[in-house]
Amino acid sequence: MNGRPLVPVDRAYVNFLELQPAEWQALFLTLKVASVALLVALPLAILVAYLLARFKFPGHGILNALVHLPLVMPPVVTGYVLLLAFGRNGPIGSFLRETFGISFAFNWTGAALAAGVMAFPLLVRPIRLSFEAVDPKLEEAAKSLGAHRLVAFLTVTLPLTLPGILGGAILGFAKAMGEFGATITFVSNIPGDTRTLALALYTATQSPSGDLAAFRLTIIATIVAFAALIASEILARHLRKRLGGDHD
Amino acid sequence: MIEVDITGHVGRMDLQAQFSSEGGVTSLFGQSGAGKTSLTNMIAGLIQPETGQISVNGETLFDADKNINLPVQARRIGHVFQDARLFPHLSVKSNLTYARWAGRRQQGRALNEVVELLGLEDLLERKPGTLSGGEKQRVAIGRALLSDPRLLIMDEPLANLDQARRNDILPYLDRLCADAGIPILYVSHSIEEVARLSQTLVILSDGKTPAFGPVADMLARTDLGRATGRHEAGALLEGTVKWEDPEWGLTHVDIGGEVMQIPDLPAEPGEAIRLRIRARDVSLALTPPEGLSIRNTLSGTIRSISRETGPYAEILCAVGDQLIRARITRASVVDLQLSIGKQVTVLIKSVAIDRRQRASINSLAQWQYPRR
Amino acid sequence: MEKIGQAFEEETGTKVIFSFAGTGTLARQVEAGAPADIFVAADAEWMDYLVENGAVRPGTATMIASNALVLIGPKDTQSIELTSDALLAALDGARLAIADPDTVPAGRYGKAALEHLKLWSDVETRLAPMENVRVTLASVARGDTPIGLVYATDAAIEPKVAVVTEIPTGSHSRIEYPATITEVSSHPDAEAFLTYLTDPKAQNVLRSLGFVADKDK
Repeated sequence: MNGRPLVPVDRAYVNFLELQPAEWQALFLTLKVASVALLVALPLAILVAYLLARFKFPGHGILNALVHLPLVMPPVVTGYVLLLAFGRNGPIGSFLRETFGISFAFNWTGAALAAGVMAFPLLVRPIRLSFEAVDPKLEEAAKSLGAHRLVAFLTVTLPLTLPGILGGAILGFAKAMGEFGATITFVSNIPGDTRTLALALYTATQSPSGDLAAFRLTIIATIVAFAALIASEILARHLRKRLGGDHD
Repeated sequence: MIEVDITGHVGRMDLQAQFSSEGGVTSLFGQSGAGKTSLTNMIAGLIQPETGQISVNGETLFDADKNINLPVQARRIGHVFQDARLFPHLSVKSNLTYARWAGRRQQGRALNEVVELLGLEDLLERKPGTLSGGEKQRVAIGRALLSDPRLLIMDEPLANLDQARRNDILPYLDRLCADAGIPILYVSHSIEEVARLSQTLVILSDGKTPAFGPVADMLARTDLGRATGRHEAGALLEGTVKWEDPEWGLTHVDIGGEVMQIPDLPAEPGEAIRLRIRARDVSLALTPPEGLSIRNTLSGTIRSISRETGPYAEILCAVGDQLIRARITRASVVDLQLSIGKQVTVLIKSVAIDRRQRASINSLAQWQYPRR
Repeated sequence: MEKIGQAFEEETGTKVIFSFAGTGTLARQVEAGAPADIFVAADAEWMDYLVENGAVRPGTATMIASNALVLIGPKDTQSIELTSDALLAALDGARLAIADPDTVPAGRYGKAALEHLKLWSDVETRLAPMENVRVTLASVARGDTPIGLVYATDAAIEPKVAVVTEIPTGSHSRIEYPATITEVSSHPDAEAFLTYLTDPKAQNVLRSLGFVADKDK
């Protein structure tokens, strides 16, 4: 009784919430992986969404199905496919390794690739809907005023689809942050390189003494997700005001 | 100078259009579904015709045989759409100058000029979402004008507006048509607009152009009943206001020889006026009647009698040096023993007045057609 | 295991249903009250955890087998000396597949072995930690990783891999497979099956698969 000061109890409580270096590592790695995944996937998603929204071509249905594949396949299967294709001995993986020296297997770049692939359908869907909501006749009007297709796209279509793109990006980012099955299958669970928050959480739950770590990681993941969602809400509202909807 | 001779398909419609016009305002007139928008979309380059040529002011925009098909961006055709199509995320000013900063078009007319012409001074900083229908259309017209076009296409610009808005915007259109300096292709299914604004009229019916020519001639023709809309058929007269009689509220208008008295028409002497007289408002008499309330009894000569089935016949009469159309029953034609060359008295019950803004005689004279 | 289960069924008429997964995953399930009668773990640590939390009946823990670790490579690989240089040369820039040393028993034993053999500090940064030892096996079989650390029993069942070195059993604590009866179990034959696992017939089956039978210490 005597030797038990009150302060250690408080400190213990605070300590329990304090992140371990491994957890900080997981957090920063996750942010890095998700950001890179988004940066690469987003322009591609905008292009694909535009193609699907504006053009009819043979293979339209196939492209659409391919885009949605990661959404409906079990993530582990997607990870396995990535492994087969981009792994050390895979057709694309060996080519990239020999020609450019780029390696995805067991690398944070592989984690980014897995995250990007899994997030892709969640990017394309809302962006495509956004494009479909923009009247193609506005693009016609822009062309009649002398704007070439790309200029018309950049000055008319893109600004009007910005809220949709933002919504898709947030969704995609959240998915990239939380990606597990494909990541662990493709690039395994290397601390610092591929142990993202989700994998770190899994690791914690696999260890009998990992409950505290699991709890802390859950808190971080939730806070980051919340922050992203709120930021997107604010941005979306701001954008909507600037674009001035039609109030006829 | 517009020259069009094309065939094409749009959906289920087969289009076969051939017409040419010297300049000024050319109206494309026809009922809904006649193919007007399809035709203008082909001229603008939004749809590709199958055969033929399109040229404006000597420049070939499309030639199927020579494989010429200028893309929309290169045609320099200002296109005012029925639904305005303003860019909702840009201010009115940015919309107006879009062709300059995004379309890389040259400075044709000055921004101030166009703003003044269309009364857009107070709207410049606003967003399209806050504008009324008429304001939107004026901005759309201004935007098209500022794209340094060689031709202005206006596709039923007043169709989506209610009567009050239409009346608001028509004076601007008058001014525009007089001051534009470039040929205008005006598409409409409204005979009033067409009669008021244009010099040349192209009739479009079922995807074909059965006739085109000076607007007065077209409106007077008796064989275009179905295309022009039977009840709208009539005559278009050009007249000059002589003087206004304040006591009786009657304005005297000289239509070339004969003078008409028109009630409720505030006007200045010398003002140019277009009078549209519907065929069903015109009666004929063998001798000038007495004791009749109709004030406008003009003497005329029968030029043609249409052969129609059904109860009606249409008679074309020359009054002074203009033509007036009358619709009477076939029975009366026989009873009165009407024949070509016969002198008759033309009785006009009511007249629709289409005002012209005070335009310079010169610009009007450019587009006048010799009267018969 | 399934062979043993079949044999048990033939003898006693009681059907045995198996659920296979990583030790950690199964342990969590048992802790949460999964309707299992018997739990077989790949190490003692998880078993102790479950005993502490009262999820299994303490007195029933029985060691039913042991195992050995091996380094494997794709079929037709040369054997490797257990030195840092040889190992790193064989990896040639790629990674060494291993079950996650932080969480999977096989990985824990592997790490202990590598530390004992003074290889850990050199290969620590060249590892590819995997979810479980079977995934590790598959990775080497596919050629994604040139070398892997798995159980001898795993290497035996995969024709596409070959053992390149045996890890001396003295370099790690004894690999043990404890089996217990869960707390929630109510099946009358649970104890019988547990005993059966140490029966010579069951032990022969295990031995034939490469497990070190409990009796051979």
